[in-house]
Amino acid sequence: MAGNNLSDPTHRDGVTHYLAAVTAQLPGPPSARVAVTDELRDGLMEALETHQARGCSQVEATAAVIAEFGDPDTVAAAFGPELGAVQARRVAVGLLVTGPLVGLAWIAAVVVNALPPWRHQLIGPWLALPLVCLALAVAGPALGLTVAASGRLGRRLGQVVDRATLPPTAAAVAGLAAVVADLTLLGIITAHALTSPGSYVWAPVIVAAGASLTRITLAARAARRCLATRAALT
Amino acid sequence: MLPMRAEVLKGHLDGLLLATLADGPRHGYAIKEALRLGSGGQFDLPTGTVYPALHRLERAGLIRGSWSTVNGRRRRSYELTAAGRRTLSDERSSWQEFSAAVTALLGNSPWPATT
Repeated sequence: MAGNNLSDPTHRDGVTHYLAAVTAQLPGPPSARVAVTDELRDGLMEALETHQARGCSQVEATAAVIAEFGDPDTVAAAFGPELGAVQARRVAVGLLVTGPLVGLAWIAAVVVNALPPWRHQLIGPWLALPLVCLALAVAGPALGLTVAASGRLGRRLGQVVDRATLPPTAAAVAGLAAVVADLTLLGIITAHALTSPGSYVWAPVIVAAGASLTRITLAARAARRCLATRAALT
Repeated sequence: MLPMRAEVLKGHLDGLLLATLADGPRHGYAIKEALRLGSGGQFDLPTGTVYPALHRLERAGLIRGSWSTVNGRRRRSYELTAAGRRTLSDERSSWQEFSAAVTALLGNSPWPATT
């Protein structure tokens, strides 16, 4: 069928440009944007075929389909809350998976080296440890809220809060809290190593520090993207 | 007869979208066309905004999407979940009660006497 061929100049200039105008404004993870693009492309081509079957020329059908689908800005904006929720949920799942792993790595480093918390002492740089607890106390509820708002509960939560911005906002807060926790842990262990030279079992420390550095990079980037999505939705 | 604007459907769109899937799976454009044809052309929504509404219903667990390949392109079709069927049943019941009450009030029947 003629309507299937995107290499046709009429389609390339019309439908493909329309599709590009929509997808260029979509937030969220690349895989989710590709899925939306594929779905819209199928709908556009199906609409083209429908109009041509009714007797429209290709030019008429293309114009009719673009008018039928609506303004690209409006369509992209309508996808924003859904793609923002997908993005937030992925960030939350990532933090929920990595959180215990990073935590266990630090616990192992503390236990193996019999560092002050293992001896029930909060002295020197370890006095900053409550800041880690505070960050985790923020991250936990933020993650719970992200998972709830980006899933089935989102429809109900939307009756009392801004359904669109809640998931990316909560995910960004959780990501930033994770960054604070990791930076604090890295600062503590660095200060401890500098002020209390001795023989360390370095392997677990290096593993824990590496895990935190990796998570800082990923969580900071995820939080920045969630905040950008939130800004686009407001 | 001019098609109704999308705002008029606010509050009813979810139920209408679920109703289009009552008889089996459809893809996005087929759902939009079912709404248009089923309403006699009254509900002619911007097609591009139907898709996000479907994604919202899928996230709510009311419909389930699946991919297939048709004519060499990827197609996403939707079907009702068990929760979606329950919600559709609730929407139908509440609409029948609501429309019966509005019909009673806006119809030409005499108003009851009040003090």
